[in-house]
Amino acid sequence: MLERELSVINRLGLHARASAKLVQLLGGFKSNAFLIGRGREVNAKSIMGVMLLAAAQGSTVLLRVDGPDEEAAMEAAASLFARYFDEGD
Amino acid sequence: MAVGLLLLTHPGIGAALHAVAQRVLGSQALSVGVFEVPFDAELDALSLRARSALARLDSGAGVLVLTDIYGASPSNLAARLEQAPVPMRRVSGLSLPMLLRVLNFSEQSLDQLAETAAQGGRSGIVCGHA
Repeated sequence: MLERELSVINRLGLHARASAKLVQLLGGFKSNAFLIGRGREVNAKSIMGVMLLAAAQGSTVLLRVDGPDEEAAMEAAASLFARYFDEGD
Repeated sequence: MAVGLLLLTHPGIGAALHAVAQRVLGSQALSVGVFEVPFDAELDALSLRARSALARLDSGAGVLVLTDIYGASPSNLAARLEQAPVPMRRVSGLSLPMLLRVLNFSEQSLDQLAETAAQGGRSGIVCGHA
């Protein structure tokens, strides 16, 4: 099991399209994935779960992945956050 | 083999929700059809067209029919479709959260997906902050 704090740095935060990208990315891995923010834990492979966090720019969330490909899943997700969800800003 | 998805709604609703879902999620694993029932439509006349829309969407795993308001004509038309030979489930209260959640869990069976839709609709209602 791996956990990492991830900073939401893109301007629009975890809005619909960013959430969809994260969910689709993690859906490609076997590991289970959860996001924790503001005391709420949600399934990071569920778009409605991720959107319930309403995580804005400047916030941090904790990603927990657990499974056979957890390292690759964590790296891929951390990279997506760091790349501003490929939104440019 | 994926379930088909039919949005059976009042005018303007199904197509708009589908367009937003496509924009948010990109290409989708489910085949989605939109059937908008005009105001004052004659349901008998529409039944045939709705049935063929349903049949086109079925690849063997059945079709999930999402309607906007229970008891309204689109939903009543969906009820008639239950007599068609295609396996189907219908869920009312179509919303963007419901639709996104269904498309998110596209690998599920027809029965599972009906539950997923209902849960997505419920969890989409949040008063103030979640």
